[in-house]
Amino acid sequence: MSSGIPLAWKNLTHDRRKLVVAIGGIVFAVMLMFQQRGFNDALFDSTVKIVRELNADLVIVNPLRFSLSSEIRFARSAIDEAASHLGVSQVKPLFIENIAARLRIDKHRAHPIRVIAFDLNNEVFFDRIGEIKSQLARLNEPNTAIMDRLSMVGYGFDLSSSAKFPKMGELSGRPINIIGTFQSGRDFAHDGNLIMSQENFANYFRYRGLDPLSIVDLGLVKLQKDADSTEVCKSLQASFGKKFTVLTRQQFIDKEIGFWSRSTPVGVIFTIGTIMGFVVGVIICYQILANDISEHMGEFATLKAMGYKNSYFFGLVICQSIYLAIFGFVPGLILSWGLFYINSNMTGLLLELTMPRIALILIATLTMCIVSGLLAVRKLIAADPASLF
Amino acid sequence: MATNESNLEQLIKIWEPSVEEPCIKVEHLNHYYGEGEMRKQVLFDQCLQIRRGEIVILKGQSGCGKTTLLTLIGTLRSVQEGSLNVIGKELNGVSAEDTTELRKKTGFIFQAHNLFESLTAFQNVRMSTELQGIPIEDASPRIEAALTRLGLGHRIHYKPKSLSGGQKQRVAVARGIIHEPQLILADEPTAALDEESGREVVTIFQELANEKKSTVLIVTHDNRILDVADRIVVMEYGKIISNVLVKPNALMSSVIREFSVFHSLTPQSLSHLAEKVTLQNYPSGSEIIRQGDIGYEFFLIGRGEVDVEVDGKVVNTLSQGAFFGEISLVKQQPRSATVRARSNVVCFVLSKDEFQSVMDSSQSFEEELRNAIFSRR
Repeated sequence: MSSGIPLAWKNLTHDRRKLVVAIGGIVFAVMLMFQQRGFNDALFDSTVKIVRELNADLVIVNPLRFSLSSEIRFARSAIDEAASHLGVSQVKPLFIENIAARLRIDKHRAHPIRVIAFDLNNEVFFDRIGEIKSQLARLNEPNTAIMDRLSMVGYGFDLSSSAKFPKMGELSGRPINIIGTFQSGRDFAHDGNLIMSQENFANYFRYRGLDPLSIVDLGLVKLQKDADSTEVCKSLQASFGKKFTVLTRQQFIDKEIGFWSRSTPVGVIFTIGTIMGFVVGVIICYQILANDISEHMGEFATLKAMGYKNSYFFGLVICQSIYLAIFGFVPGLILSWGLFYINSNMTGLLLELTMPRIALILIATLTMCIVSGLLAVRKLIAADPASLF
Repeated sequence: MATNESNLEQLIKIWEPSVEEPCIKVEHLNHYYGEGEMRKQVLFDQCLQIRRGEIVILKGQSGCGKTTLLTLIGTLRSVQEGSLNVIGKELNGVSAEDTTELRKKTGFIFQAHNLFESLTAFQNVRMSTELQGIPIEDASPRIEAALTRLGLGHRIHYKPKSLSGGQKQRVAVARGIIHEPQLILADEPTAALDEESGREVVTIFQELANEKKSTVLIVTHDNRILDVADRIVVMEYGKIISNVLVKPNALMSSVIREFSVFHSLTPQSLSHLAEKVTLQNYPSGSEIIRQGDIGYEFFLIGRGEVDVEVDGKVVNTLSQGAFFGEISLVKQQPRSATVRARSNVVCFVLSKDEFQSVMDSSQSFEEELRNAIFSRR
């Protein structure tokens, strides 16, 4: 700015009440964008959370299994094949049921729940606080399971910290004993989680076949200490050909997210929502800036008559746009964080504010305000000093 | 006679052609508003020259085009037809960069103060100094001095909402002159001001005109400030109907009034006459008019002596205060004699049309003239 006077700042902050009202609009737009992105990311985050918890370097899966929630399985022989491959230390099978796993307690209706089962001797989850580990021994008992605390309330179980265990229920027509809880999280396709031993699993889900455990949902591969995961993944895939798909854990996560964002309306809906938030923000910010310019037309025309160039006015409006963006972003961020907290508790979804996401919305907010600034400045450029007389 | 001579000397000095380029030169300027069928002409073939250091008052009824002329001179409107040269730059077809440069050399004072509500009086004026690139150390004392001089010393750091209408206008004046511009364009600068403040404003204009040779063009109806004008230009329906350099006009009026033939003219007629009269120098021995030629001019001798020759023979000698050349104009016949300068002669010359219009406008002048002619023969 050729002027040592911070006119952009002064004009913006001169009328406090007007400024607050103006910022309110931008805060709204910011919150809209955060909410839309937040839910979008939450859906993906929630869906792959369980995968992130899995103690595996590589994952073996049926090539036709388009998503974790689809129940397309593969033969156990793959596990044994993989176990002897170069670089592989151990391969553990993982069994999952959802649709067939209907959980019921009295008075409440039966509802599908995701049941995850494995050989209790295997360390299938990272289990950082050792919660699952401490309950493993008791899961050896028949008809026992532990339940995810974040499962939906509708099942009818009180899973709060003061709850008493064991709790009785019915799973797929057979009685079940919930002996304790762990923490994971719900997602779009699953309203709750149970963990049990593979022996118990075989009893509950006999429909899977003569030997229910001969059909596997996921194969979890642990590599030897110095093995390179990408290399082993490639070679293992090569040896399997088209029969099975081998992915690194990250690739598996990306594939899952890719499915939800590209093959379902989820991604599209939330993207449209975000764009709408952006457009609302542009409109509101434009109104603020254009209004300010209109009210001070005489003063700006005077500056023009004095010899101020158009470049000065560009700088002035862009400056105001950036101030508005920041004034709106900070409260928007704080309020969104609060809203995330509330929503998270209500829906059980994982609503997280990570740095990259904050940065994304900040850039969107700045772009939003600068775009409206560029639209508003045309009015200012058109100011005719001859009209002052 | 002694007073007249010194007046005459002054007059001759003022009327000597100015070597300097005028600050504002208007030539055959036309301006139109609207397009196509709605097009209306607002300025008609305007011609005007204003020199550096002049204070000019532009008068006329609303709608006469004076504001349009002011905006054209100030580069706020584009020149459509004709030539308009301001501070050495031709404005017809001027580029955007040159326009900006020119605007920086100009100071505007509008009727509406247009101050930023969010800035103090000091900061509003500083918008001007910052644009000029004047560092704050130099600008600050200047701004404070200007505002104090305009009676705002105690209000320098107040925002417009705490200032009265007159005070705001004074801040606008300060903003318009703080950078000592070469050209000041003011539209009713004293309208909202009391006697004292208004006087202070025009005094500042005078100082800038005298000391920095700033040219000041004021559109105003305020009769209180007429005395500072060097030139008064009157417009009517888009045309300049009167353009008078006041002091020379006054001098001229007092000088020609001494001529007996003009004794009975009213001041108004005198002024009108003074406006139209030109001074001409004739070296010794030169012919001023020649017998037999068609007469176009009327002459009054301001200094020197002339010989009147009929058919080669000197029949009369005329000196200061005498007039000649009127017969051809009154009687519509060719020159009856040759008039030759005996010494270096300075004559007041009136063209035929102007002579006729003075005759028409003043009955007494015609009478006097006829008496004089009658008594001559």
